[in-house]
Amino acid sequence: MSSVTIQNVTKAFGPTVVLENFDAVFENGEFITLLGPSGCGKTTMLRIVAGFEKPTSGSVMFDEKVVSSDKVFLPPEKRDIGMVFQSYAVWPHMTVYENVAYPLSIKKVDKAAIKQKVDRVLAAVHLTQYADRIPSQLSGGQQQRVALARALVAEPALLLLDEPLSNLDAKLRESMRFEIKEIQREYGITVMYVTHDQTEAMAMSDRIVVINRGVIQQVGSPREIYNNPANPFVADFVGKIEFVEGTVKDGWIELDGCGQKLPYDGDVKGRVIVGIRPENITYAEEGEGELQGVVKSHFYLGDVDDCRIDLGEGKEVRVIADPYESKGVETGKKVSLKVRSFLVYPQQEDGQDFRKILT
Amino acid sequence: MQVQTEKKTRNAAEIRCKIGLLIFLLLGAAMVAAGWWGINLYNESGFDQEAAYGYIHKLSGEVDRLYENGILPVMNGLDGQLKTAIELRSRELLVSAWTDAAKEDRTAAVDTYLSKAADPAREQMELLSVTYSVAGPKVSSKEKKAMAALSDAERADFRRQVLAGVADETSELPALASDAVEGEEGLERAGILMQLFLTSVNGSSEPLNGDHINGLKKAARSGDARITAYGMTAEGGVSWLSQLVLSNTKTIILAGIVLLFDIVLLFFLLKADNSWHMDIKWIVILIIVDFLVLFQVMPLVYLVIKAFFPEGSFTFEVFKRLYTYPMNLGALSNTLIAAAATMVLGTLLAFPLAWLVGRTNLYGKKFFRSLFVLTYMVPPYLGAMAWLRLLNPNVGTINVALRVLFGLSDAPGPLNIYSLGGMIWVLTTFYYPYAFITISRAMEKMDPSLEEASRVSGASPITTVFKITLPMMTPSLIAGALLVFVCAASCYGIPSIIGAPGKVHTVTTRIIEYNGLGAQGLSDATGLSVFLMVIAIIVLYISDFVIAKKQYITVSGKSTRPNIVDLGKWRVLLTAAVGLFAVIVILIPFATILITSFKVDLGKPLFDSANFTVSHWQTIFSRSETMTCLKNSLVFGAVTATVGIVIACTMSYLLQRTRIRGRKIPDFLITLGSGTPSVVIALGLIMTMKGDFGLNIYNTAYIMIIAYLIKYLMMGMRTVVSAMSQIHVSLEECSQISGASWFKTMFKITGPLIFPSIAAGWFLIFIPSFYELSMTALLYSNNTKTIGFQLYEYWTYTSQQQASAMAFGILLIVVAINFLLNKLTKGEFSI
Repeated sequence: MSSVTIQNVTKAFGPTVVLENFDAVFENGEFITLLGPSGCGKTTMLRIVAGFEKPTSGSVMFDEKVVSSDKVFLPPEKRDIGMVFQSYAVWPHMTVYENVAYPLSIKKVDKAAIKQKVDRVLAAVHLTQYADRIPSQLSGGQQQRVALARALVAEPALLLLDEPLSNLDAKLRESMRFEIKEIQREYGITVMYVTHDQTEAMAMSDRIVVINRGVIQQVGSPREIYNNPANPFVADFVGKIEFVEGTVKDGWIELDGCGQKLPYDGDVKGRVIVGIRPENITYAEEGEGELQGVVKSHFYLGDVDDCRIDLGEGKEVRVIADPYESKGVETGKKVSLKVRSFLVYPQQEDGQDFRKILT
Repeated sequence: MQVQTEKKTRNAAEIRCKIGLLIFLLLGAAMVAAGWWGINLYNESGFDQEAAYGYIHKLSGEVDRLYENGILPVMNGLDGQLKTAIELRSRELLVSAWTDAAKEDRTAAVDTYLSKAADPAREQMELLSVTYSVAGPKVSSKEKKAMAALSDAERADFRRQVLAGVADETSELPALASDAVEGEEGLERAGILMQLFLTSVNGSSEPLNGDHINGLKKAARSGDARITAYGMTAEGGVSWLSQLVLSNTKTIILAGIVLLFDIVLLFFLLKADNSWHMDIKWIVILIIVDFLVLFQVMPLVYLVIKAFFPEGSFTFEVFKRLYTYPMNLGALSNTLIAAAATMVLGTLLAFPLAWLVGRTNLYGKKFFRSLFVLTYMVPPYLGAMAWLRLLNPNVGTINVALRVLFGLSDAPGPLNIYSLGGMIWVLTTFYYPYAFITISRAMEKMDPSLEEASRVSGASPITTVFKITLPMMTPSLIAGALLVFVCAASCYGIPSIIGAPGKVHTVTTRIIEYNGLGAQGLSDATGLSVFLMVIAIIVLYISDFVIAKKQYITVSGKSTRPNIVDLGKWRVLLTAAVGLFAVIVILIPFATILITSFKVDLGKPLFDSANFTVSHWQTIFSRSETMTCLKNSLVFGAVTATVGIVIACTMSYLLQRTRIRGRKIPDFLITLGSGTPSVVIALGLIMTMKGDFGLNIYNTAYIMIIAYLIKYLMMGMRTVVSAMSQIHVSLEECSQISGASWFKTMFKITGPLIFPSIAAGWFLIFIPSFYELSMTALLYSNNTKTIGFQLYEYWTYTSQQQASAMAFGILLIVVAINFLLNKLTKGEFSI
């Protein structure tokens, strides 16, 4: 078990900077997820921790030991880590048993001990009866578990998972999520997990590191990330949200264009971006809600009713309502909306359109 | 209701399809029958005379002169009764001169022929003189001389007396004639006299001139059906259909058999598919299969049959003789040792090079890669020539340098290129790229995370190479090694240049030597080539059916950066080592060729006084023969490559985009063809394409282009197939959804996407066809010499400097075309 300290890591491939001043500390036994859209640099960070890439500047430490810095570079094989690749990377010329035993045989562990450890880990991933199969006889999910077993067998201090579930179907993905979490608990291991799937991140992580364009946007528990996103990007990437621009004036935010107002007593002044999550809006009796609008479209999904409400002048909010409450809502109907809570961010001073950050 | 209608439509289609098949089946049978009828008709009506009277019409000018100036005056001078007697006797002679068929048949045949003629007497005489030119009793040279000594008047007198003697045994003969018929009587006597008469007609003492006699003999011997038909048509009363059939009996039988074969094949394919629906794709497949069956399978099968049944009955005699002859045994063991050593050395070189260039941070990786691939595009004999200059035991540059360096005596050595070791060295330097390309392609395809997984498991880069990379590469490694083995075993250029002077024979050099030795030689060459074929088939079987099943290469869905191994402190050292290797294997030989092409005296350094000349370059550019050869090579190469790439694209489409049954058959045949050693392909074509089987393309450019196609088609096909497999079918489907026709989709989407590979495929067929030597050495004629063969001839017989100039010229052309295609495909072109 070990903690991971990443200090001021920058990585550039030629002129392209993919990671900028990355600073983070992952505690012992923590389940950390690097979350971000594709191309954000999260996989590069993982590969730097693994030792497949050298940071352009900055350093990486496992506990007190420097593994990557300007002067020191420890190759991957000396880092005592386990890793599961997106493509599983199960060796096709070895049986399941041989694949899993590989890290131990490299360490020249004696045969009996190998047998015992491999059996234990195969049992943990429910593959005991497949030990003698060759990988091409296994399904994707089974191969994935072989990769997981192989990463765990040497009881590494740190387990790295690079989008391990992205090639699996939805049902299997859910059960694997649970299994990985179980195994982590059983082995008490520090896990660094890379994904672009926010649900996966929310479900499994102790803490999430949200990354965009090579820069950390926020580090926090799933609850913090969801409820108090540090900026519009995080708010948008984790969960659903609609943004409306406005101006703070005398305890109100006047929304642009539509002439409607929301009560506000926060600290932000001047031009603001208001983010409203659809589950935080409910339908109200006429005249009782803060906002008035016309139903533009609505989709009945069984458990929820997903509606888009036009506030006027093209400003829109989304309401995901309990179908019981939204009875009678129809396209074209005028409605009154009650906003339980919303997020307020100051507009960038350089006048940059915040929507560009989101994409 | 609807289901029933559907079923009805299906049944109707099935019936239509089956009827169509039946019609074509009958057509094929009819063609075979017609051809057979033609051959039989021809056999029944005799052999020689048919050819002869067909031939008369070809040389009517000479026969006219013979008749008008020689025979007619004499005949007209005779009285009526004698004339009739002579005519009757001539007919008897004509009948008796024929060798085949019963006498009554012959008489009837002559009568039929003459009854149709406008001037029977004349036709009879013509026929007789023509027949007697080939068959009939011979006039001795003493008699010819004596006749030539006579004056025109004396000769006319002589003719009259001799002709009278034909009909009447009691009439008085000139002394010369009576000597010739001494002791003969009846038809024999008349025959000799008739021959004397005909011979004395023209001044040359032969009834017809030598060329025409040869033509007649050839026509009679080869049974030239065309002449028969010509004759019969000249005679009148033969329809155009009969004429067509009679002119092309064998070709028609062959076409009929091919048609029958196609229909049967199609029937089984349709039956296996259980869909009786005609598809244009079947036709395409069948055309390609037909081509391959005719020009590849038939020659090879015939070759094997000929090896075991040289005289029509089974015997091991040829083998016994061949394989107990010490020189052949030596050649066999040399071939096996050289090929095996080349395979081992080549693979040992290729794997580390491929790994260093593909998977590490070696300096100048790209440069080295294209350099090693370049060797692949250079004719192997070029290397042989260069190394001969470098390692000649007496004057070789390296030997001289070594002697000076180590203060050795002036005795030859220390290295000798004219040895098995020398040959192995040159073979290795020119065939390792085959393994290099195979291995590095596989390495590029390998998912790098397989190696990364090993690294995080605690294995060092070196351990990873041995435990993961190497085992996973094993199938490709073996495939590459076997490719080198077959290429080295069937190489002709290198052993012929290096081995022959050093008396190191290989199977290929023996085969080509035997081939030059007439009919017996050809059957010996066949026997030896079976050995090469067996090797090739074993190797093909292993690499295509055993190893291919074990291919582990997993292409990852996401394009990943290859895992670059940091060589650390070894980086500079290893780059230097690879650089040194490149200098030794590529730079030095090429430079040697260039330098040699500028030397006056081979033995002296280039910059000795007055040893530099550009005259060799001037010579090769100004000699029309060389330019013609170059033009031939460029044309043959371009035609082969263009036809080849069309087939390759068609096959790729069939293989990658259709599930049509039978698409694997041409694929298999093409693979078989490319695995067959060049000399074997060429020998098979020589034996079967002379007209005996209805196809006569011997000594033409076609036979060479076909040979090149069979050997090199696969290189182009594999390139296009792998490119097409990379393009997901959804790209095409999307275009069709957007409203583009199939053709437009191919043109706008698939075509542009695989264009670089099409260019590469074209190039891969063009290059080896352009500088080909092994097959050309067997198939060339005076009009179809190629630059490769010209170069070989000049190297062996004329001037090594001029040959070097040509060799460097070839190299420049190859590099130039490579460059051109690179520009054309905007740098995406690579092999």
